[in-house]
Amino acid sequence: MIIDKVHKTLRVIQENGGWLNSLLKLYRYDTLKSGRLVGTDDYGNRYYENKEYFMGRDRWVEYADKVRLDYDGSQIPAEWYGWMHHKTDIPPTLRPPPKYKWLAQHTENMTGTSRQYVPYDTVPPKIQPWIPGKK
Amino acid sequence: MLRRGVSSSLRNALQVQKRSAASAPEKIEVFIDDQSVMVEPGTTVLQAAAMVGIEIPRFCYHERLSVAGNCRMCLVEVEKSPKPVAACAMPVMKGWRIKTNSPLTKKAREGVMEFLLTNHPLDCPICDQGGECDLQDQSMAFGSDRSRFTDVNYTGKRAVEDKDLGPLVKTVMTRCIQCTRCVRFASEIAGIPTLGSTGRGQEMQIGTYVEKMFLSELSGNVIDLCPVGALTSKPYTFTARPWETRKTESIDVLDAVGSNIVVSTRAGDVMRVIPKNNDDVNEEWISDKARFSYDGLKRQRLTTPMVRKNGELEACDWQEALMVVANKIATTPGDRMAALVGGLSDAETLTALKDLMNHLECETLCTEEKFPMDGAGTDLRSNYLLNSRLTGVEEADLVLIIGCNPRFESPVFNARIRKSWIANELDVAVIGPKVDLTYTYDHLGDSPKTIADLASGNHEFSQRLKTAKRPMIIVGSEALQREDGGAIYSAAHKLALSLQNTTEDWKVFNVLHRVAGQVAALDLGYRAGADEIAANKPALLYMLGADEAAVDRKDLQNCFIVYQGHHGDRGAEQADVILPGCAYTEKQATYVNTEGRTQQTFPAVTPPGLAREDWKIIRALSEFAGVGLPYDNIEELRGRMSEIAPNLVKYSVVEEANYFAQAGPLFGKLASALRSDEKLDTKLKGLEDFFMTDSISRASATMAKCVQAAMNEKKNRH
Amino acid sequence: MAALVRTLLRDKSHITAFGLRYVRTSSILQGQGEYIQVNQIPEKELMTREAIADRTAKLFFFEELVRGMMVTLGMIFKEPATINYPFEKGPLSPRFRGEHALRRYPSGEERCIACKLCEAICPAQAITIEAEERADGSRRTTRYDIDMTKCIYCGFCQEACPVDAIVEGPNFEYSTETHEELLYNKEKLLDNGDKWEPEIQANIRADYLYR
Repeated sequence: MIIDKVHKTLRVIQENGGWLNSLLKLYRYDTLKSGRLVGTDDYGNRYYENKEYFMGRDRWVEYADKVRLDYDGSQIPAEWYGWMHHKTDIPPTLRPPPKYKWLAQHTENMTGTSRQYVPYDTVPPKIQPWIPGKK
Repeated sequence: MLRRGVSSSLRNALQVQKRSAASAPEKIEVFIDDQSVMVEPGTTVLQAAAMVGIEIPRFCYHERLSVAGNCRMCLVEVEKSPKPVAACAMPVMKGWRIKTNSPLTKKAREGVMEFLLTNHPLDCPICDQGGECDLQDQSMAFGSDRSRFTDVNYTGKRAVEDKDLGPLVKTVMTRCIQCTRCVRFASEIAGIPTLGSTGRGQEMQIGTYVEKMFLSELSGNVIDLCPVGALTSKPYTFTARPWETRKTESIDVLDAVGSNIVVSTRAGDVMRVIPKNNDDVNEEWISDKARFSYDGLKRQRLTTPMVRKNGELEACDWQEALMVVANKIATTPGDRMAALVGGLSDAETLTALKDLMNHLECETLCTEEKFPMDGAGTDLRSNYLLNSRLTGVEEADLVLIIGCNPRFESPVFNARIRKSWIANELDVAVIGPKVDLTYTYDHLGDSPKTIADLASGNHEFSQRLKTAKRPMIIVGSEALQREDGGAIYSAAHKLALSLQNTTEDWKVFNVLHRVAGQVAALDLGYRAGADEIAANKPALLYMLGADEAAVDRKDLQNCFIVYQGHHGDRGAEQADVILPGCAYTEKQATYVNTEGRTQQTFPAVTPPGLAREDWKIIRALSEFAGVGLPYDNIEELRGRMSEIAPNLVKYSVVEEANYFAQAGPLFGKLASALRSDEKLDTKLKGLEDFFMTDSISRASATMAKCVQAAMNEKKNRH
Repeated sequence: MAALVRTLLRDKSHITAFGLRYVRTSSILQGQGEYIQVNQIPEKELMTREAIADRTAKLFFFEELVRGMMVTLGMIFKEPATINYPFEKGPLSPRFRGEHALRRYPSGEERCIACKLCEAICPAQAITIEAEERADGSRRTTRYDIDMTKCIYCGFCQEACPVDAIVEGPNFEYSTETHEELLYNKEKLLDNGDKWEPEIQANIRADYLYR
């Protein structure tokens, strides 16, 4: 049994591109898994699946390399969201999501940054004061 | 001419109806759902049911309009009657057993509802009537619980083109259920037969026949009358829902009738104004100015105190503004000060201002609105009131209108005259310009001389006046503002005295005011007219909402002007210090209407910015000026008010005033003689003059649109 | 009362070597009910020599600790039972009620018609709507604010909506560092809709049979 585990670990390490890469991934993702690459989204996130793991662990994402350690759960765009959360088994690579020209780019949760959402009024003030000298 | 013809035939029809009703006094017994009720003969089934508290659903029936009986919603079963009967139109017969809840009645209602809904769009979510819609409510209460509508492709629903009825009433005619309430209102109450129906059956439409706007001073009332969302308010379009608004019962101050209103507000914002039923004042109508000028409350507002520095008005805080005024007061002797109050001032503020000025030994307190001060002047209360009361016109048999246009000065009162003219054979005579009053009248000329002729019996109409059992003479306040106002006043008064019937408590002499604050100001002892100020040339002038330009800055040399009010209008422009006050929707305040009825407004919204309640401003100023008026809250202030004029705190009653005999001899010497060369005239002649008469309605964009529409409509060839 | 006490005292079954144990007279007298001690007082046993040695050894070699650590060590080699968020995510229902969004028609026209039913039904009164006529005469909101800190995520707003405009979207990863960032206005909600439309549409499609 232990031999089986060791064997599996070695295979995972191999599939992840050697000891060094595996250590790097372990550092970044806190776990080392191997699976089938289902797809990549527009932002560089890679989605994997391996049904050997139990449900919940069987699909995972490797966040785009450019975000380094600043990965965040909110970086997954809407197209992949349903697949990631096991709402559907059909990834957007197989059934493309609807495309409208008004659809917005996905953004991650911007709180705490300079690009965070700041609420503002969408209506003009109710009372218009009188300005002297103007009718 | 055609118009008159239509009106008089209507009038005859209604009179016949009335006479037949009056001839049988015995009561008859009927049974509504086995409850016995004794009713007058001629009572309809619907009214009889209302007496035992059973409400029969209806769309077309309305208490204040004639019976049409075309919606069929009020069908009820009557025992031994083969068919259900329309409750609104059917008079009860002796011993009838009416079943308002039987299976037949229910089935009839469901059937009618189904017919109504087949052609009614399902657009409740975007309909402004949603939440206060009779069709919505009654289809929930009386409609069928399932639909037989199978036309899922919507091929057969009726669609009707919308009509352009002007800037106030929005139409979505597809929603119309042809109840004809609006048509009946227009021809019976408003007196303009613009609206009517064309076509029949499925093709029936409500419209204006020709391309024409529905422009009337009372047009907004069709919005309330419409049981569905076919006629809705244009300025209120899509802005609020009835369930989210807070309702404050208040008083309209834009004319002197004091119509009872409900101010709907949401989140500190006036959303709309709707009438409140008061049979003694406005029934359930209000004028378009009262209803739609509320957007003027949000524009051109004074929101912060201002002080003139280097010729420019600059915003400052209350402390600074009040200090500047107090310093000026300290350096000015009392007889060099004066106060001028405008037509929208409330009794509380007037009391506080008068107390303050009197403490400062200033006696020159004037109202902008003139009134003859010769003779007894304003000392006797009956001299300046509409003594027969607004309801009195329904008992009168002859009304003589002198120098005013009640249609535009007090539209709701004019509607009452018209109602009496239709139903009670009231005759109307007019001395003044020949204007359209929506009813026929005898035009006796436009010279003031006519009044004297009538009194001396030299006029052909004198005989008619003499024979009248209950004559009413209504003198417009505008006629009394002429140079010979005193003479006109005394002539009218003399005429009224000669017609006064001593046996009956009927008052002949009436004054119709134009502004809401005038009666309270006169009750409190303000002098009417700004002549005294112009003559005195005060060094300090305190203007309280005085926006009618009765006094011009150029006429007063080196005068320091303090303006307290709510709108940046003519008054604020000439001021050195501006103290921002409250409009009538923002304060609890007392107003007295033209008949002397004391009523109060209640705050519906908070005043904008730094604006404060008016009497509190004066109270604060008194502290700065070292006087310290002895009241700190409105109860104490009203206590003081009751010391000066007890009638000012007796709310919603009219204090009796009857000093006609005493007033007569006091007209000893008149300042001026009747000027027969100058014709009696009124400012408000056409609809375009009606909409903008005060600082609130002048600031209103809706009212400006109305004026524009009324001007354009004049060019309409129809 | 005195009679009762006397009866109780006479009844020797209540009385043990420790005195009146089972019934407290005072509580009866005060009418506060009685209690009965159900656990037996253990009799003190004298420990044997072996038992003492055993216990000392357990204490000395941290037996419990070592056992615990062994369990932990065994678990290291087992497959973890937890989900490695944010790389792995748990299953979610299409009916999940997360962050709100205002949707558009495929043409790009906003769906909301300002009927205010959501505002009316909102039990937390988190929604504020102001509306007026748009230039083209259609009924539109000028203000559509949701205070996400008031919202209780009951989903009544999307149930009430006649045009499927306001929806509670799938997103739950919108926590913020400050309160005001959660006071959403109309633009933010529309932007949410524009971002999440593919997923919102998929959810509605998944659930349409049950609506």
